[in-house]
Amino acid sequence: MNTHPPERPRILLHDPTLRDGHHAVGHQLDADQLRAYATAANAAGVPVVEVGHGNGLGASSLQIGRARLDDATMLTTVREALTSARMGVFMAPGWGTSGDLAAAVHRGADVIRIAAHCTEADVTERHLGVVRDLGAEAQGVLLMSHMTGPGELAEQCALMAKFGAQAVGIMDSAGHYLPSEVTGRVHAIAEAVDVPVIFHGHNNLGLAVANSLAAVDAGAVVIDATARGFGAGAGNTQLEVLVAVLERRGIETGIGLREVLSAADVAADRLMKAPPSIDSIAVASGLAGVFSGFKRPVLESARAEGVDPVDLFLALGERQVVAGQEDLIGDTARQLKAATR
Amino acid sequence: MAADEQRLRAAVLGAGLIGVDLADRIRRSGKLELALVAGRDRDSLGLRRAAEMGHPTTVGGIRAVADTGPFDVVFDATNADSHAEHWAALRPTGTTLIDLTPTGLGTVIVPGVNSHRSAAHQHLNLVSCGGQAAIPVLYAISRHCTPSYIEVVSTGASASAGRATRLNLDQYIATTSAAIRTFTGAQDAKVMVNLSPARPAPPFRVAMTVLADGIRPAAVRTSIAAAAQAVRAYAPGFEVTSLAVDPGRIAVAVEVTASGGRLPRHAGSVDIINAAAVLLAEQSAAASR
Repeated sequence: MNTHPPERPRILLHDPTLRDGHHAVGHQLDADQLRAYATAANAAGVPVVEVGHGNGLGASSLQIGRARLDDATMLTTVREALTSARMGVFMAPGWGTSGDLAAAVHRGADVIRIAAHCTEADVTERHLGVVRDLGAEAQGVLLMSHMTGPGELAEQCALMAKFGAQAVGIMDSAGHYLPSEVTGRVHAIAEAVDVPVIFHGHNNLGLAVANSLAAVDAGAVVIDATARGFGAGAGNTQLEVLVAVLERRGIETGIGLREVLSAADVAADRLMKAPPSIDSIAVASGLAGVFSGFKRPVLESARAEGVDPVDLFLALGERQVVAGQEDLIGDTARQLKAATR
Repeated sequence: MAADEQRLRAAVLGAGLIGVDLADRIRRSGKLELALVAGRDRDSLGLRRAAEMGHPTTVGGIRAVADTGPFDVVFDATNADSHAEHWAALRPTGTTLIDLTPTGLGTVIVPGVNSHRSAAHQHLNLVSCGGQAAIPVLYAISRHCTPSYIEVVSTGASASAGRATRLNLDQYIATTSAAIRTFTGAQDAKVMVNLSPARPAPPFRVAMTVLADGIRPAAVRTSIAAAAQAVRAYAPGFEVTSLAVDPGRIAVAVEVTASGGRLPRHAGSVDIINAAAVLLAEQSAAASR
C-alpha cells in the first residue's frame, strides 16, 4: 500500500507490557513469559520493550508486592530476546537507587525512565545525572499527573530536561484524564521543553487510546502502549489498537500491523488469564484519581475488612494517596469499617 | 547569668529546612547557646530567615565555623556529600559534631536505644528522619525475636523535604537500612521513601513490617507502647497509628507531627531528627559539667 520509501517514524511507541502488566498479575511473570512476549514484540518492530517489577527497579517488596523474578533475571531474560528493540526500565528514586541503575545498564538497559510524582521532579536530579553518566538514554516521567495542572507540569518537565532528561512527560497513572485535559497538558509541556514529550495512558474511563491520540495531536512524540492493554487497573493504552489508529491517521510508527497483532496474541495467550477490562472498580478508581496499581491490594483489604471496594477507592482518593503508599490501604479500610458500624 | 556560662556554644551548618528549625530549637534550649548559623548562599531563603529571627549568621560555610570556633557542638544539617569534609575540618578542634545527614559515618545514635554511648564519641550520626522514627520501635520488637526481614516505608509531605534530602535519597536508604540491621540483628532490611504531594500535607508516616519466628503478641505490644512513650518525651507528636501482630509477621505504622515550635504540623520528619539532635547535645552539656 505504501509506495513511498519508509519515513523515519514520527511517533515512537514505548511498550511497558512486561513492566506495567506486572500489576495485573501480582508481579508474577516468569522467564518463559518474558521471553515469549519480548521475542514477539521485537519481531513486530516495537522500538522499546520495557521490563521490570510493576513499580520498577528496586520496588519488589512486601509493601508493593514481591516479584517472582529478581530485577537481574528479568533484564537478562528480555535482553537476550531483543535483537533490534531497545530495552527500557523504570525507576522511581526512593524505591530504587543508583546501584539499581548501574546494575540495569550492566545488564543491557538502553532507555531508563526516572519517575517522580507530579510535583516532585527535583527528586530526579541525581538519578537522571547518574543515567547520563552511565551512557544510557535518560527519560523523566511524572506520575499521577492529573493531580496538578498544565503550568506546573510544564515547569516540572522543564526541570527534568535541565537535569539531563532526553525525553520528558506525564503518566495518567489513575486513568483519570479526558482528552481535552491531555491536550492542554501536553501542549504546555511541548512549549516548555526542547526534548520529545512522553504520554502514558490508562483506560479506567475508556479513553486511553483517545487520550493518546490527543497527546500526539498536541505534540507528544513518545507514546506508551501495551499489548491487549495489559497493565495496572483497567489496563493501559492498547498497543495494537493504537498502531491501527495511528495508521488510519497516516502516522508512521515503524511497527507492522500484522506483526503487532501477532505479538498481542502472544501476550493474550501467554501473559494473562483475561485481558484487562473496565470493571466497576476500575471506573471508581479512575474517577477517584487513585493509582491504578492499587486495584489488587484494594480488593484484598476490602475483602478482609468487609467494606465495599468502591467506597475504599473513593476514601483513598479523598486522602490523595500516591503510588508507594500501599500501607495506607489497610488502615483506610479499617477506618471505613469503624465508621460504618 | 550563671546559667549562661554553663551553656554549650553551638553552631549549625546548613540553613535549609532542618538547619533553620535547629537554630530555633537551640535558641529555646536552656542548655545550649546558638553562636552561629552557617550557610553558603547569601540569597538563600533559609539564611535570610535565620537572620530575620535574630540568629548570628554567616555565608562562610564550614570555613567560617572552623575559623570562628571553637564551638562545643556543631550540627551538620547540610548534605551527605559535604559531611566528610566538615568532619575533617572540625575533628582537630575537638568539637562534638552531630551529623543529621544520612552518611552513617560517625557513631550512629538513636535516643533511648543507645544514646548512653554518645558521650564517649566526638562524631555522632543520626541516621535519617525515618531511622529516628523507626528504630526505637524496631529495636523494641527485636528484644523479643530475631527478625529475618524488616521493611520500612516512610512517606513525608513534599513540603517537608528540602533539596539536600531529595539529592540524598540513595544515602538515606543505604544508611537507614544498615542502621536497622545493626540495631535489630535482622538479616535483611529494605527501606523505601515516598514524598506525598497531597494537600493539606499529611503527617510524616513510617510503616514497618517485621518478619520473625516466635512472636509473642502481648509482649510485643507492650514493648512498642513503651518505646513510643519514650520517644514522646522528646518528640511529643509521635504516635503508633496501626499495629497488627500475626504469626510470623508484625505490621506497625507510626505518624509524627510537629508541635510547639515554628514547624508546620506535617513536618514530623524534621521534628523528630531535630528533637533527637538537640536532646543529644543537651545530654552532652549535662555530662560535661
